[in-house]
Amino acid sequence: MNVLILGGTGMLGPYVARELAPAHNLRITDVNPPKDDLPGEFLHLDAADLDGVVAAAEGMDAIVNLSVLRRDRRIAWDVSTRGCYNMMQAAVTHNIRRVINTGPHYTVAGPNVTECFDYDIGPDIPPQSGTNIYAITKSMGLEICRVFTQHHDINVQTYLFYNFKDPEAIQPGDHYAPYVISWENAAEVFTLGLDIELNALPSNCEVFFVFADMPHGKFSNEKTKRILGFQPRQDVEILWK
Amino acid sequence: MRILITSASNDRSADLADHFAGRHEVRLTERAHVETEHEFVLSALGHDRSTNLLTRGIDAIVHSVESLPGEDASTQLDAATRGTYNLLMAAAEEGVSQIILLSTLELMAAYPSGYRVRETWRPLPNTQPPTLSIHLAEQISREFAREGSLGVKILRLGDVSNKTVADAVSEALAQPVPLAASCRSNESTAPHALSITHVGERPQ
Repeated sequence: MNVLILGGTGMLGPYVARELAPAHNLRITDVNPPKDDLPGEFLHLDAADLDGVVAAAEGMDAIVNLSVLRRDRRIAWDVSTRGCYNMMQAAVTHNIRRVINTGPHYTVAGPNVTECFDYDIGPDIPPQSGTNIYAITKSMGLEICRVFTQHHDINVQTYLFYNFKDPEAIQPGDHYAPYVISWENAAEVFTLGLDIELNALPSNCEVFFVFADMPHGKFSNEKTKRILGFQPRQDVEILWK
Repeated sequence: MRILITSASNDRSADLADHFAGRHEVRLTERAHVETEHEFVLSALGHDRSTNLLTRGIDAIVHSVESLPGEDASTQLDAATRGTYNLLMAAAEEGVSQIILLSTLELMAAYPSGYRVRETWRPLPNTQPPTLSIHLAEQISREFAREGSLGVKILRLGDVSNKTVADAVSEALAQPVPLAASCRSNESTAPHALSITHVGERPQ
């Protein structure tokens, strides 16, 4: 499969590129060049550039959007909201039916869905990002994807993460969020997302929480395991064991 | 009352300014210069201090999401989403008591003809920027209302005259929605910080 990765040289991008490279042809784009050698072709591209995103998607079978900018109040909209619109326009233009989008868990589970009070928080709650710039720009991006899937034969899977860890760097007693995954384990879900038959997904727009099995039960990754066949590694358990 | 009206280059905004000018202090704003007899402030609705200054001392904002000539789809969407967020963030910080968002009944056009579509029904936007942009502006406004930082009234307009719009805005200004934070003590009867009103007939 020919796969376009937007924002591919960031923090998660290199892990995803190395995970996908053995089975797929990669076209990796970003505003920053890769720090290390990455498999595939690299294009300098800003996700806010509509014409550039459409051109980069030509000949692709799938788009994976890893672009992210958390705090800058202009670029966050450029990347997370406008970037999603551009990506979906590119998918329409080139008849690309498989799109994988990403974001933080509070794209749907904002401050009113509190980790303090609630348990078993799943990805199919009505999105309520709140006004945090990172959350709301990603939430608007998700909404754009949802609207496009209502009008076009495009399937969008959105993978939501929270806290990434390098297992080798974890020290006993380290602080951790109630929703953690190792970088390598996170990358594995993208293989599943590219492999799954699209008609095996419940709808054209599905959201998944991607994190390790954790004992406290705050969030739920059950859907990700059940539908995508995701297998959480046991490589961050030292955080609580 | 001091009222800020956005999208000043749009005829509807200009007519609203004329309508309210006799009874209220009116300030118009736009992303490009507009010739007007009313107070006008050029603003890109950026995230800098100028947007705070634009909203300082304002009691109510009548916000429209309109594109400028020559803007491509991606730019229209960006201006609508980022501009709305920056405007509302500044309004919340400056203590503006009321936001009136002028939306469109195009959002409900996809429901079958003959249905009595209510304000509580889910919007069904298409992917074209005029409709998608205003839908996202509604979503952004909703999050400010949900957090309790602003009271937001959304007027979804059908094919109605500017006079009808002015009357609807007047009515909305006379009945401000409360901040969510102020009504938590009595949830069973408390009004919401977000209200939506359909004005006119929806297109079918």
